Amino acid sequence: MNTGVKISGLAHIGLLLWMAIGGLFSFDRDQPLEVSEVTLITGEQFAAMLAAGSQAPAVSAAPETPAQPEQAEQLETPVPEAAPEQATPPEAVEEVQPETEPQVEEAFETPRAELSPVAPPAPVAPDTPEGASPVLAPENPPAPDAAPRVAPRPVERPEPDANVAEQVQQAARREQAPEAPPVPEAPEETTAPEEAGTVIETEATDEAGGTAQSELAPPGAPRPLRRPDRPTPPAPAPAAEPEPARDPLADAIAGAVAEATASAPAEAAGQGTARTGPPLSAGEKDALRLGVQRCWNVGSLSTDALRTTITVYFEMDQTARPVSGTIRMLDSEGGSAAAANQAFEAARRAIIRCGVSGYGLPPEKYDQWREVEVVFNPDYMRVR
Amino acid sequence: MFLRSLAKAAVMAVAALLPLALPAAAQDRLRIEITEGVIEPLPFAIPTFEAETPQAAQLANDITRVIAADLVGTGLFREVPASSHIARITSFSSPVSYPDWKAINVQALITGAVSVDGSGRTNVKFRLHDVFADNELGEGLQLGGASSAARRLAHKVADQVYSRITGEGAYFDSRVVFVHEEGPKNARQKRLGVMDYDGANVQYLTDSSSIVLAPRFSPTGDRVLYTSYSSGVPEIYMMQVGALRPQKLIEAQGAMTFAPRFGPDGNTVVYSESRGGNTDIFVTSIGGSASKLTNTPSIETAPSYSPDGSQIVFESDRSGMQQLYIMSARGGEARRISFGEGRYGTPVWSPRGDLIAFTKQHGGRFHIGVMRTDGSEERLLTASFLDEGPTWSPNGRVIMFTRQSAGAGGQPSLYSVDITGRNLRRVPTPGAASDPAWSPLLP
Repeated sequence: MNTGVKISGLAHIGLLLWMAIGGLFSFDRDQPLEVSEVTLITGEQFAAMLAAGSQAPAVSAAPETPAQPEQAEQLETPVPEAAPEQATPPEAVEEVQPETEPQVEEAFETPRAELSPVAPPAPVAPDTPEGASPVLAPENPPAPDAAPRVAPRPVERPEPDANVAEQVQQAARREQAPEAPPVPEAPEETTAPEEAGTVIETEATDEAGGTAQSELAPPGAPRPLRRPDRPTPPAPAPAAEPEPARDPLADAIAGAVAEATASAPAEAAGQGTARTGPPLSAGEKDALRLGVQRCWNVGSLSTDALRTTITVYFEMDQTARPVSGTIRMLDSEGGSAAAANQAFEAARRAIIRCGVSGYGLPPEKYDQWREVEVVFNPDYMRVR
Repeated sequence: MFLRSLAKAAVMAVAALLPLALPAAAQDRLRIEITEGVIEPLPFAIPTFEAETPQAAQLANDITRVIAADLVGTGLFREVPASSHIARITSFSSPVSYPDWKAINVQALITGAVSVDGSGRTNVKFRLHDVFADNELGEGLQLGGASSAARRLAHKVADQVYSRITGEGAYFDSRVVFVHEEGPKNARQKRLGVMDYDGANVQYLTDSSSIVLAPRFSPTGDRVLYTSYSSGVPEIYMMQVGALRPQKLIEAQGAMTFAPRFGPDGNTVVYSESRGGNTDIFVTSIGGSASKLTNTPSIETAPSYSPDGSQIVFESDRSGMQQLYIMSARGGEARRISFGEGRYGTPVWSPRGDLIAFTKQHGGRFHIGVMRTDGSEERLLTASFLDEGPTWSPNGRVIMFTRQSAGAGGQPSLYSVDITGRNLRRVPTPGAASDPAWSPLLP
């Protein structure tokens, strides 16, 4: 081999060795990779982008003004969100300038209103016959033909005759005792359906529920039959045992009680307060209670009046209508005098409103319900 | 022997007492107890007031309508429309036929007359009748004022009727200062407005050049405190409502002042001051120096005086979560009164002193609620995406607050609710409104 071939061979061998050993093909794993995200778009999107880019945006000379802070949401952070990081402290206002511009009202004037304690002259009282009964239901009530219905659900117009009333009265007499005294005939209009109801018909006071409960009060529960007498044991041998010793103290007390009870009715009768006739059944008492409570509207009472329990007394005539002049407050508890007065007015309205047609109590027991005390306790209503 | 004497004495005692007891038993009337009634609006009628002079015709109609709207707006009354009336009130001095009003179930009847004299002065006189009692409820009254005061005259009549029937204090003749808002959320413009309690007669106290927040009436209603960002940081200003001239109240270099509220004397202002990341409660007299009432590393804010000025209720996160605390008006130890779940804030003491209204955040919803001053009997009255910032009516019966609807386009509005939780109503305002503050009853 000639010298040239040798030199060329050595040079190639040296080059290969340098490439293998010198690190020409080594891979630097620590070198970070640069990845660019690209999005494939269609030709139409590219054209649209070029078209949009041809419109040069207006360059604002002034830097963008930061938005003014929203009202601080106090529950999230009590500190207002108003740039607390502002370096420069706020400058004190040397001279207070009115913030109002001309468009703001020049002056804020409140018109004056004066309250005069002078009462206008009272109108003449309506024509009422002297000595007329204070019973609420008028003898001849105004013809209600043209009375528009106030409650949202109108009541059907009643039949002109009183056939319906007769039936209702008969049904009410079913539990009348045969030995009861003659019952005065109730006016027919008291049992006929009314043209305009006295009850505000809402979901809370359904006509069907309230009326049915009061008119169809259950009769008194039948008394259980008397327990049969036990068979009499054969008589023991006479005088076989000594007579038991009598307790003188017990005898004395029993005698005194017997004497007192014997004299008490006479004294009570002397005061004219003894009740005669059969007692009211629980159902009849419930009927009266329900009859009053469906008109006891506490929605317009003050919070103080709703803490006041009052006791109201009133009398009723024989048709079970309250006599308005007898309604008075006996007692109040839990509130101020003004609150008691408000509560009494609401109670009086309830007694009168729902008693216009009578409370449907049995006439033969009139002596039992002629005088009534009603305790109006709003504790439960206050929390509703 | 001794036993016999003792028995004789006992018998005599029983014999003496028994006759006393038995007649009482015999006198027992039928007695029933009623514990359940109904809760429904009381029906009333208000025939259009008589116009005693020709120029009073329109005023009489307007005044009548405002009175009716006031009463109906409480949720406690329901107007029986004129189309249902049987009787006609032809003259204020003519007698009232009560049976005609009973027949249509009217329980309260309001009659009145309006006249305008030669000087333009408007006179309103009225009577309130308890129909089922067949007589008047209280005495008739007469009010007078300029024709521009016709709405105020109507509010005063309605106040009298409301108070006589319910026993509550009056509140119709009052105003509300609020923040009127315009524009998108990221560039909201705010200005102070004042209006009648029912949203009428809106007037603006400031322009929209700077953000204003949290206006509060003085006890006499002639001044308003508010927070303004006119200098870039929140600062407290006071404005004479009649003169529209704001005056910076607190000079606190390097600090932010906000959440002001007048004391009952009208000369004391309690507020929050944030300095160096810490917020405490301060008190100052107008024109005087301030003193610090709290000194804790936590955030204390939203102070509100008790009506007698002896105590302050405020919110604090000293327990790790926002809760309500009460301290003496002179500062010192505070006692926590809220212990329910969630966060409590923006407490406001009732004008009657018996309740504290607050905002509660719990379960992702906001509530307006009330509790007694010892923290008992907590009741939540509302629930929505965002309810906050309660304010009391002058009689302590109604609460007005801000309700913001959800979503990007949600706008704040003013709502009112009875403290029983009933009668939730939106208060009409011209546009978005927030941060209401009720004035005292106008003189």
